[in-house]
Amino acid sequence: MNYQKMTIMDMSEKDPEKLFKEANTLAHQYQEEYNSFVTILDTFDMTDGKTKLRGIPYALKDNIATKGILTTASSNILKDYVPVFDATVYKKLKESGAVLVGKTVLDELAMGGTGTTGHTGIVKNPWDKTRQIGGSSAGSAAAVALGIVPFSIGSDTGDSIRKPAAYGGIVGFKPTYGLVSRYGLFPFASSLDHVGCFTRSVKDAAIVTDIIKGYDENDMTSLKDDGKCYESTIEQDIHGRKLFYIKEICDKNLYQGKSEILSVLDSFYDNLKKLEEIGFEIEPVSIDKDLLMALYPTYMAITCAEATSNDSNLTGISFGIRGEGKNIQEMIMDARTKGFSELIKRRFVLGSYILQRENQEKLFLNAQRIRHMIVDKINTLFQEFDGMIMPSFGSLPPKFEDSSDRLSEEYLLLENHLCIGNFGGFPSISIPSGFLNNLPLSINLTGRCKEDDLVLNMAYYMEKTFGYQGIVAGGEDHV
Amino acid sequence: MATKEQLKDYAHKMMFDMKEEEYDTLEKEFEIFEKQMDFIGKVKGIEKIVPMTFPYINEDVKLRDDLVKNTITTKEALKNCKVVDRDQVRVPKVVE
Repeated sequence: MNYQKMTIMDMSEKDPEKLFKEANTLAHQYQEEYNSFVTILDTFDMTDGKTKLRGIPYALKDNIATKGILTTASSNILKDYVPVFDATVYKKLKESGAVLVGKTVLDELAMGGTGTTGHTGIVKNPWDKTRQIGGSSAGSAAAVALGIVPFSIGSDTGDSIRKPAAYGGIVGFKPTYGLVSRYGLFPFASSLDHVGCFTRSVKDAAIVTDIIKGYDENDMTSLKDDGKCYESTIEQDIHGRKLFYIKEICDKNLYQGKSEILSVLDSFYDNLKKLEEIGFEIEPVSIDKDLLMALYPTYMAITCAEATSNDSNLTGISFGIRGEGKNIQEMIMDARTKGFSELIKRRFVLGSYILQRENQEKLFLNAQRIRHMIVDKINTLFQEFDGMIMPSFGSLPPKFEDSSDRLSEEYLLLENHLCIGNFGGFPSISIPSGFLNNLPLSINLTGRCKEDDLVLNMAYYMEKTFGYQGIVAGGEDHV
Repeated sequence: MATKEQLKDYAHKMMFDMKEEEYDTLEKEFEIFEKQMDFIGKVKGIEKIVPMTFPYINEDVKLRDDLVKNTITTKEALKNCKVVDRDQVRVPKVVE
């Protein structure tokens, strides 16, 4: 069997060193063309774990601390930073016997959704090099979509796993907030940050999550271990499971004349019919349009404010690039001026403005109030429904020349609803669901907190129904 | 509405500077952001809502015992520092 098509289970009996060699060769082969990695590891290093991940090659986003291995968060200010401790997720994977192949490119400090702002250059979409793969976990998505590794680890603050997974034709799973420890993840917005995985099948996502979840006393938002094995419950019967989609976002009448969005929605509704045929019950529900329009500004206000505070330790004094100056203040000013890109600075200024005492009530606290209203609404719906099903995006991945990182007055609800999963900490997964103009389409499923097993169970049957499990960019899957 | 001078002040408070044209971009972004936040403030019933700081109440959270534990050595802690002198981070001495 072709290495690039193999799932974790397909690799389980293979020689780990040979698998590593395959992954390493592919990582180098694709690097110039797609730029998935900040660092490619050339030495095979495996702990003899006794799990299903023993010997399985994988990639890790470069904002996750790895002792003795360069970890840059794709920012100039950390371009030579080598952590002195391991993140819990990395430690767990190391102990499981999984083999690290490299550290992947992200949008600088995970603050972006384009895959274009990392300090080592842009990451290209493996299905079409003229388009974005999305971000911020851009390299982790591209590495799995190209078949370099069967799984990778990313972080997700607004959609940073699920959107690039959707653009890359692979599975992206963000578990319940607190299920996977954030210890050693460079924080972006702590109340929204999650660690999760990219795979080429839902079952593989369950296998990886079974390994990386669990209580960690080093993360005070960590959940007590649920003791469940997600892989073993993945095939449970789903007949009668109830799902909803949001009418105000998925209504085709809103998009008259926009043929690409209409085609995405046609595919979405076709797939809903198929899911009903296998036993799901699906209904549209209504949510106050004002609340939905408030999603993106709320996300911006909370993330910019939290990031401003979280990244204040990046001074260049005790680690990172050192600035020049006559005193400490001048040195910090110089390091931060040279170390951050324009986008990061703009976001930090916004965050600083939001946190000024005179603005907190109107900006920060109101954003947190909207967050509460949205989460309450979704939780109320989850009393009746088992999950929310939505298209992962409304338009195909943007071409590089058409994209912008600036705030826009345009409300793009179909592009910005995935942050609901972060507001409420809900488990949420993107699954490949078709093709349009030779590019993958994707459907997202979000469920109740601490019911990751049910989300994976339902997603497993959806994947089977859609029929796009294990597709790899290039080769025969490139339709 | 924030003026360009205020934006410069916020940037300096954040300990960095930006180019003049970057402040122009920022000024435009602020205009949009303020409009969006005005809109949020008008959402019906918002005044009665308690701000949400985390996704849910985690009842598993407990304070760790206050035990002294060695995590990393001084040598390790200083490993990423560019200028170290006698096991300490060295910075310019300033007497004004």
